Amino acid sequence: MKKNLLFIFALIFSLSSCIEILDDLTIHADGSGSFRYNINLSSNKIKVNSILALDSLDGQKVPKIEDIKEKVQQFIKTLEAQNGISNVKVEENYTDFIFKFSCDFTNVLLLQEGIKTTISSMTKEKNTTELNHNWITWDGSKLTRSIPTITLNKVKELKQSDIEQLKLGTYTSISRFDKMIDKFGNPAAILSKNKQAVMIKTDTYSLKENPDILENVIYLNSSKN
Amino acid sequence: MSFKKQLLFSAFLFSFLNLKAQNSENLIPKDAVTVFSINNINLFQKISLDELISYDFMYEVHQELFDGSTSGSTLKDSGLDFNQKLNVFYGKAQKSEISGFSFGVSDQQKLFTVFDDFDLIDRMSTEKTKVYGSFFNNLIIRDNSALLIRVEPTMDYISEMTDSIWYARGNESPFDYFGYDEEEPSILDEKVFGEEDEVIVEEETELFPDASEDPNVKNYYELRDSVQLVLQQQQLEMILNELLVQNINLPSFDNRFANQLTHNSEGVFYMDNARNIDKASGLWYFQTVLPSLYKDIQELYAGNLILGDIYLKDHAVQFDITAEYGPGLGAIYKEMNDSKFDKNILKYIPNNSSGYFSYNVNMRQAYEKAYEIIMPILSEEKNAQIAMNVLTIELLNEFINKDALFGTYKGSMFGSFNGFKKIKTKKIEFFYDEETFEYGERVAEAEEDMPIFTYGITIDRKDIPEKILKHFGRLTSKIQNKGNYWVFENAILDAAPLYMINRNGLFILTNDEDLAVNHADGYGKEKLNRKAGKKAKKSGFMYANINVAQTINRFPMDVLNDRQNEIIQTLKGKSGSLELISSKTSVKKTDFKIEYTFQGEDTSGKHLLDLINSIYIVTK
Repeated sequence: MKKNLLFIFALIFSLSSCIEILDDLTIHADGSGSFRYNINLSSNKIKVNSILALDSLDGQKVPKIEDIKEKVQQFIKTLEAQNGISNVKVEENYTDFIFKFSCDFTNVLLLQEGIKTTISSMTKEKNTTELNHNWITWDGSKLTRSIPTITLNKVKELKQSDIEQLKLGTYTSISRFDKMIDKFGNPAAILSKNKQAVMIKTDTYSLKENPDILENVIYLNSSKN
Repeated sequence: MSFKKQLLFSAFLFSFLNLKAQNSENLIPKDAVTVFSINNINLFQKISLDELISYDFMYEVHQELFDGSTSGSTLKDSGLDFNQKLNVFYGKAQKSEISGFSFGVSDQQKLFTVFDDFDLIDRMSTEKTKVYGSFFNNLIIRDNSALLIRVEPTMDYISEMTDSIWYARGNESPFDYFGYDEEEPSILDEKVFGEEDEVIVEEETELFPDASEDPNVKNYYELRDSVQLVLQQQQLEMILNELLVQNINLPSFDNRFANQLTHNSEGVFYMDNARNIDKASGLWYFQTVLPSLYKDIQELYAGNLILGDIYLKDHAVQFDITAEYGPGLGAIYKEMNDSKFDKNILKYIPNNSSGYFSYNVNMRQAYEKAYEIIMPILSEEKNAQIAMNVLTIELLNEFINKDALFGTYKGSMFGSFNGFKKIKTKKIEFFYDEETFEYGERVAEAEEDMPIFTYGITIDRKDIPEKILKHFGRLTSKIQNKGNYWVFENAILDAAPLYMINRNGLFILTNDEDLAVNHADGYGKEKLNRKAGKKAKKSGFMYANINVAQTINRFPMDVLNDRQNEIIQTLKGKSGSLELISSKTSVKKTDFKIEYTFQGEDTSGKHLLDLINSIYIVTK
């Protein structure tokens, strides 16, 4: 028997037709960096509030804001204790329902390991294949990235009516570097004017239909900038 | 039960069996307080058993009956006699709960392909009456009728008997741990079973008494299980004895039900509220501490009964319902429902409204009558607490300005659901700098769909809400006077405004900006048409009209659970309207008529079952 915090992902998606997710990764030359993950539900305040006003939904108790705050604190505390992760912050805005997570890491492997361990610890899930997946690899000049399949698998469990709503949501993935970018593999991606950041944006429905849509391999310029 | 008693009981069964042909309704136990009796089950021949047992009204009895072996079968294949009624019942006695259904049998062999888990109980069977059992369910077949019944002793009764035996044997309290919290499962704590999970057995030693050292001596929970089993048998045998030996059944016990069964309708229903109140566990305090007051309450509720007929017509299903009262409550209801229809409400219901209701009651008259009837009952009670309460009520009755109170809240109200509208809200959006893709936040206009509701009460003292709003307006800038109306910003779900209109003898709450801003004195030419208005006015104290396609199809489904969603889904795609009309209320009764008219060809039993199920969910 396992407790599953991941259901929150599904709940967040089902609550909101206009969810806006921003996933922002910065990698420095030494492999350290910072990760930011923002969820913006402000365009669906009425719906989110109406759900939070309920005692239960689909036979399950709807968490109170206090319960969510408690889980967030638990998440921060657990993640901060992981090797190679520091400066963990979560900004919670329960008026507009915007949640901003950020942390620093010494390398991307430790970042992913830390997140997996934290989720496992909070959900007591030890052996899920979802958590075996690595979504970022970095070799000093090449970044390969996708998005965590945990989120996607939960999205697949949504009802058909909720899935239709996903077409109005967006997912933006940004990768930043100290060096100039030489080239990248995903034709849907765009390069910033300073050539140090790549952004891909899609709607959450397309992402659910094709989880590889945000996959990208980014090569940095080998010459010194 | 001892072997001697079992023999005696079997002998009784054998000796006094009624050998004449039975009808299924004669197998309804007298303790049934809610019954749905379907006369024309021919309609259901094509319905699959899987579909049938998915209905809530079947849930009480189906749990252990169908194990998949009937998958793909229909009622037609199940050996049912379609010339007899199908009666679904539920009842709660003081010591047990009963549920089940009775029906006609045309082919026992086919029947046992459905009830394939049932074993014959020899000691309870006779030549003419066969009793079968499967867990807590029992199937009784007598002549060409059958009864499927589940009898479960109440937990209070089981605990009472167990405690009695436990302490009589000189045992101490079996509970040595009281401190654990039983938390409701939360979405945050959803439990998931996975293939690779290890089963973690949590130690719960503190929750249960230790096993006895002597294996022949039962611990508390073992004793309770034994008591439960014996009580279940005892209760079942009592009910079957009454039903099969003494021939006391619901139609013979209550001639109002017997009379209802003679109606030429597709189905009837019966709900004895008087016995419901009698068995209500919430009244245990009165039963034990204030027995004379409890008796008075019982008398007040005597005669409280709901009877109904279901008629299938061309493109319509009609429910005729009669709520019968005893003289005490009847007098209060008569005064309460004796209220003049407030024509002003019609101005505030738009002609294109998806659904609306009106409810006309006179709280002042109801209060006076209830005071007249209930206070003498309470005054006679020789109990200090009741005496203090009586004194408090009498003093309040003297001191409170009833003209102001009932002038502010007269009791009559109306409501309407006017579809969905886009509501303007604010949202935060991210914007990106093209140079670096760094981002910031900005406030932007957003629109969200919101169901538009209007609710209003009739009022004589418009100065009182005006006074309250004026003072609240001083406390917070969120409440503002806009001339013809008041607005309370972000009152609804912290995002949308609530409008208050205090005009024309009505105090109205709405989230419809258009109504407040442009129609504070009513919709004018766009108001409810004359014919519809006349129907509402002509109805007794209550009227409702729902456009199924517009209301059900657009109902906010998020607020419903899966099963409720399913019920709404069954009505979805169906067009037509639901109309509720009530009669004037007399001391004895109020009649209600609910008519569901629809287009299309769907006159099947499925349609009827959906509606019966909806009634069951509402009334259970």
